[in-house]
Amino acid sequence: MRNTTKEVIGLDIGTSRIVAARRENDGYGFEAQLNAFVTIPYSRITENVLTKESVPHCVNGAEITVFGNEAARIADLLNVETRRPMTRGVLNPGEPQSLAQIRRLLTSVLGEAPKQGHKVCFTVPAPGVGSEENITYHETMIRQILRDFGYEVRSLNEGLAVIYGELEDSNYTGVGISFGGGLCNVALAYMSVPVLSFSTPKGGDFIDSSAAAVTGELANRVRLVKEDGFSLNGHYSEKIHQALSVYYDDMMQSVVNGLKEAFEASRNVPKLGKKIPLVLSGGSALPAGFRDRFEKLIQEASLPVQFSEIRLASDPLYATAKGALVAALAD
Amino acid sequence: MNQRIGRPGEERSFDLAWRPPRRIVEQIVGWRARQISDPVERLRYLQRSASGASKHRHSLGWRRRTAIFLLGFLLIPPPTASDANISPLRIRETVPVPGEASAEPEPPPVWLVERTPDYEVYSNGLRIETRFTVSYQPRKYPIYSEDWSQIEPIGWGAEPVGIVYHSTESDQAPFEEEQNRKLKYLGEALLRYVRQHKSYHYVIDRFGRIFRIVDEGSSANHAGYSVWASGGRAFVNLNRSFLGIALEAQTQHGDEVQGPAITPAQVHAARVLTEMLRSRYRISARNCVTHAQVSVSPSAARIGYHTDWASDFPFDELGLPDNYAVPPPSLYGFGFGYDSLFEKVAGVSLRNGLQLAEERLRQDASASGLAVPAYRARLQQRYRRLIAALNAESALEENDDEKHD
Repeated sequence: MRNTTKEVIGLDIGTSRIVAARRENDGYGFEAQLNAFVTIPYSRITENVLTKESVPHCVNGAEITVFGNEAARIADLLNVETRRPMTRGVLNPGEPQSLAQIRRLLTSVLGEAPKQGHKVCFTVPAPGVGSEENITYHETMIRQILRDFGYEVRSLNEGLAVIYGELEDSNYTGVGISFGGGLCNVALAYMSVPVLSFSTPKGGDFIDSSAAAVTGELANRVRLVKEDGFSLNGHYSEKIHQALSVYYDDMMQSVVNGLKEAFEASRNVPKLGKKIPLVLSGGSALPAGFRDRFEKLIQEASLPVQFSEIRLASDPLYATAKGALVAALAD
Repeated sequence: MNQRIGRPGEERSFDLAWRPPRRIVEQIVGWRARQISDPVERLRYLQRSASGASKHRHSLGWRRRTAIFLLGFLLIPPPTASDANISPLRIRETVPVPGEASAEPEPPPVWLVERTPDYEVYSNGLRIETRFTVSYQPRKYPIYSEDWSQIEPIGWGAEPVGIVYHSTESDQAPFEEEQNRKLKYLGEALLRYVRQHKSYHYVIDRFGRIFRIVDEGSSANHAGYSVWASGGRAFVNLNRSFLGIALEAQTQHGDEVQGPAITPAQVHAARVLTEMLRSRYRISARNCVTHAQVSVSPSAARIGYHTDWASDFPFDELGLPDNYAVPPPSLYGFGFGYDSLFEKVAGVSLRNGLQLAEERLRQDASASGLAVPAYRARLQQRYRRLIAALNAESALEENDDEKHD
């Protein structure tokens, strides 16, 4: 029997954010949490304040762990870095609490335990350019957590999710790129069939840490500045904005280089024989001027594929989760 | 460049044979897809069209493929509610072994430079002390298929195919100059013990000196009940098929304990010895593993009967891949489990390997249509039958030897 729409969830498990998508009435509903946490010393007063303000947290002995969206604000207040359950698109091997925190965050976005037969489709990154990073462990662990919750689980390449979320009008033909926190994921599909995919290791975190290193700021501070109206307009009065511009360029150039390499390595892609759309999504694609700058780099690269349009996703933060939901519903 | 192609969520290698459908097919399918306003239904239709055509691709010529592709597209109607029970082509997911797909580089050539009654010197700087060397039972062992589909061996071998690394877990003195006398005394006592019991082929003492104890043509009593597999071949009871290298050390278990268990001189010695053995016998890097990874307890049906080097083995410094991450074949091949003690002493990487093996077991059970406990019981029975056959064969062999004597 086909699943009803209420029983299906699309889940974008990104380095920076976890987003759950559900079909609601005629549209889509989204629930998102920052994929981060911060630990603070336990005190009864602090715990009471957090509880009163409905800040997601848990008490572990002498520490309180604040996770999700509020973690960044608390970290900024205390002038400490947030801790990250994931890095470069996969579970963070250097973070001992990664699995425990991912479990909490997933619980937070998924809500109540599902009834039997509920289905979830989660996104996984593609292998990285020039490396054989192992995503198997990451994928297996996430799959296991979701199964433990009681879901039927499947996974989906992140770039392909962007295509399923955004390129309906071209019959799911084109290039989808997710500029995420840890990675940039790229996929090309032809009439829904994935043709190639890859990831590059320079995402939002790379921009934050690189800009922080040259300006002497905390990476978390840089991230907040970046998200506070930064635009790629070519006019920067502050050093931190100049640094951000440099590393945004670096991130975009890595993706363009990856595309060029992928097309040159494949004898199939140029035979598509028609212009295809390219859609940009992800939190790192949000600054004003991003699309124009990326289009310029694409034009300079003289790729063997012509693009009918290069556009931002209708909602860049939620396109991947929406695509995962569409894929799950189509199963 | 790493590229992937396949159905969503399935990790398959980039298919260089992929071609877009012919233009007329594309136009027909595209037109029909555009008649479907719902994005989910449209995606479902396109996926089914593609999988319907791909079923026939690999066995037919391109003209027939095109015709079938076209027919497939034409015959598949736009979806309606009644299509719900038509499931698309499903391919069983498998858990790939990390790095399995990449071709393994050849070990660098290492050759014997000098041999005296007391030592051997090799081209990579390796020096082996040989004055303690003894012979033991000749090496001969069965080779099984890695899928363990039959308990009969698929062949027999007489040369080492792998290395098992051990720690002696013997008495230790602080590694300080003032302790020289005690360090040497403990090392010599260890060598005498190992020689008497034919415990290992090689011992590396704390100064990095390498002693050959049991000659390479003989088996040594180093790995008892044990299991390993790679490259389509599988081995049980590795005394005869794998060489045993013991580092004089007490290994520290778990990730929380800090500090190296062996000295830098031992790491260097293990590296050059491994290079020589891999070069001499063409040993796969995947077959260079630690005792904790291969040791099993048949009676308890658990792995990790021995736990030496359950964590912190310096694979990287020995020029080897992180073999801890390889799913232990005893788990998915014979349904063995592990206890909380083993989980505690295992490092992060080995625990990852265990998780992967468990996942593979679950997938195999699902593919067999059995619940995991039933599937596990079937695998354990397979192991018992295999070991019984092997023991019977060994007993007959010994009986034969006695008659000839």
